[in-house]
Amino acid sequence: MKKGRIIQFCYRKIIDNASEKQWEKYVFESSYKEFRMQAQLYNQDKKFRTIAEILHHVPAAERLHFLVSPSITGYIQQLKGIVPDVLDNLGKHFLHFEKYRFEIINSDIQDISHHQVAINFFSEPVEWIETIGNYMLITRSHEKADEENRLTHLVELKPFFSIYSLKEEV
Amino acid sequence: MEQSRKKFLKNFFIGAVSVPVLIEACKKDVESNSGSTGSGNTGSGGSGSGSCAVAPTETEGPYPTHSPSSYVRSDIRDDRTGIAMTMNITVKNTNNNCSALAGAIVDVWHCDKDGNYSEYGTGYTNLHFLRGRQTTDANGLVNFTTIFPGWYNGRATHIHVHIFNAAGNSLRITQISFPEGSGSAVVAVNSTAGQAYGYTKGMSGYTYATSDNIFSDDTALVEQASVVGSLSGGYVLTHTINVAA
Repeated sequence: MKKGRIIQFCYRKIIDNASEKQWEKYVFESSYKEFRMQAQLYNQDKKFRTIAEILHHVPAAERLHFLVSPSITGYIQQLKGIVPDVLDNLGKHFLHFEKYRFEIINSDIQDISHHQVAINFFSEPVEWIETIGNYMLITRSHEKADEENRLTHLVELKPFFSIYSLKEEV
Repeated sequence: MEQSRKKFLKNFFIGAVSVPVLIEACKKDVESNSGSTGSGNTGSGGSGSGSCAVAPTETEGPYPTHSPSSYVRSDIRDDRTGIAMTMNITVKNTNNNCSALAGAIVDVWHCDKDGNYSEYGTGYTNLHFLRGRQTTDANGLVNFTTIFPGWYNGRATHIHVHIFNAAGNSLRITQISFPEGSGSAVVAVNSTAGQAYGYTKGMSGYTYATSDNIFSDDTALVEQASVVGSLSGGYVLTHTINVAA
């Protein structure tokens, strides 16, 4: 029996003005509205327009990532623990996440089109069994195909989808 | 001739054999990438396919529904324990003879009994304990259910408040201070009796409002709330904040 490697994936989902799906639009609009509200804490004289400017002049504004994140909590819950967009080679969503972290990449209090955020989804630990071509063969610990066989998924690494942590089984 | 035949066969192959969704997936990816804004090197991760990959083969949905910010709640305790406290904050409008301001958004936040705020830690938890948002009613009033705040080095006991108009534009960023004299709630909570409720710091090293950076100039006690109650029965904080709306 081959020694397994336990890994966690990270999928960094970028949401911006070009995002098309309804869920993404909700996240985009809600996080922008909250950013505009919370940014006023660090921009009381209204001297700055962008989060880059605010962060440069007011280091405490680093807290904005955290302060804006409750605006999307409800939308994260609607995902029911499934990492969006990431499909196995059968075209099915299969990856579950336990943790996520929201961050603001860019924003401008006067122009929503410059608003861009990222949600980093950290997957549950899965076992990486084999690499086949461009695909990784992985298995979730408790999923069985039948009595004797474990259910597996073939997954391809892509931009914004990466291995976040690794533990060698002994 | 050979070239075009190959091309024809290739096209035929894609059109006839490969599943139509595959083509759709690639097309969509191109569209979303070209429509991307910003620095230009990030693309739109929205479609999640940087290469020509399989498209979803599942039933679509469940459909997303509009969801308010999770700040919007009256009970802001989450997992935080401590002595119960109800906050009644009234907002009045100085531009309208100090009459009640309805429809104002009131954000409050404060530290837990140990003096800690919710924030991004080294982990990835998304805890927002002791932070909440309510909209004032016709009497300009909002209520919050929370715990009595603890204190931390350099600051008197306080509650942060940010008041917005309905459009989310800031009207006032302020803090509420607490009475601290003998017999006050602050003294009772941080007494030996308060330790049974988890408030273990005592008053040694406490910064009183008169020496506090924020409150020391508030000699008229405009920022000081009324706080009544008991350790066992909990406290009620009542305060009015004037804004120019």
